[in-house]
Amino acid sequence: MSDAIKVDIWSDVQCPWCYIGKRKFEAAVATFDGDVEVEYHSFELAPDTPVDFDGTPKDYLAQRKGVSPAQADEMLDRVTGIASSVGLDYDYDHVHQTNTIKAHELLHYARSQGRQLDMKERLLKAYFVDGRHVGRIEDLADLAAEIGLDRSEVVEVLTDERYLADVKADVAQAEAYGINGVPFFVFDEKYGVSGAQDPATFANVLEQVQNERESVK
Amino acid sequence: MTDVVSSPLTILGDSAAAVCDGDFCAIPDHHEAAIVNRRVDADEI
Repeated sequence: MSDAIKVDIWSDVQCPWCYIGKRKFEAAVATFDGDVEVEYHSFELAPDTPVDFDGTPKDYLAQRKGVSPAQADEMLDRVTGIASSVGLDYDYDHVHQTNTIKAHELLHYARSQGRQLDMKERLLKAYFVDGRHVGRIEDLADLAAEIGLDRSEVVEVLTDERYLADVKADVAQAEAYGINGVPFFVFDEKYGVSGAQDPATFANVLEQVQNERESVK
Repeated sequence: MTDVVSSPLTILGDSAAAVCDGDFCAIPDHHEAAIVNRRVDADEI
C-alpha cells in the first residue's frame, strides 16, 4: 500500500471554482512535506445542457437562471477577477458552454493511460482560457492528442461510450457521500472539504491526515 | 474506486467556500471583500 495521502476530487470541466480550487489545492500540496495521490472524479453540473449550446455563459445565465445581461457581466467579471488572483486568465467572451459528459469519459480514459492529471489541466485551460470546445468528440480528441494520447483511440472510446459507466459510478459515489456542489475534496475516504478553499485549509487537512497516520504507527 | 463507499465523511474547512451547486456558481461574500482589498492594494480604488 502506498504511503501517499489519497485525495479524490469531484469536479466538472465547466466549473469556475473547480479550476480556481485546483490551483489553491496545488499550492497547498507544494508546501506539504509528504506524498499526495490525486484522482479526479466526474460531477456534471448541468447534464441537460446541449453539446452545441447556442450562446455564451452570459446567454446561459440569462436563459437558465433569469439573470439580466448586466448582472451576468458583473458576475463573470468578478469570477474572472478571482481567477486572476490565482494566475488564471479566464476568457468568458470565448467560452463554449456545452455538455461535459464526453469530457468526463475522456478523463477516465486518460486515467487508464496514466495521464489523468495532465488531461484535467488541459481540459480546464481549454474551456476557461483558450476558448476551445470541450463537448464534441473531435475537439476532445484534438485536446487529448495535444498531451500525447492516441487521437484515434480517443475517438473510438468516446464514440463507444467505453467509460460512461465509470462516469456514472463517480456520480453515484458523489451521491453516497452527499456531495451537492463542486469542487469537493475527499482525503483518505475520511475527510471532506467543499469548495475552493484557501491553500492553508487544504494544507491543514493534509497535515491532520499525516499526523493521524503517524499516531497509529 | 469501483464500489460505492457509504461511510460518512467528516467535513472540514470553511463551510462558506466557493462552490458550483447545480448549474449555478455563487460568489461568496468574503470573495467580494478579497477583490476589493486587492484593488485597494493595486490603487485601483
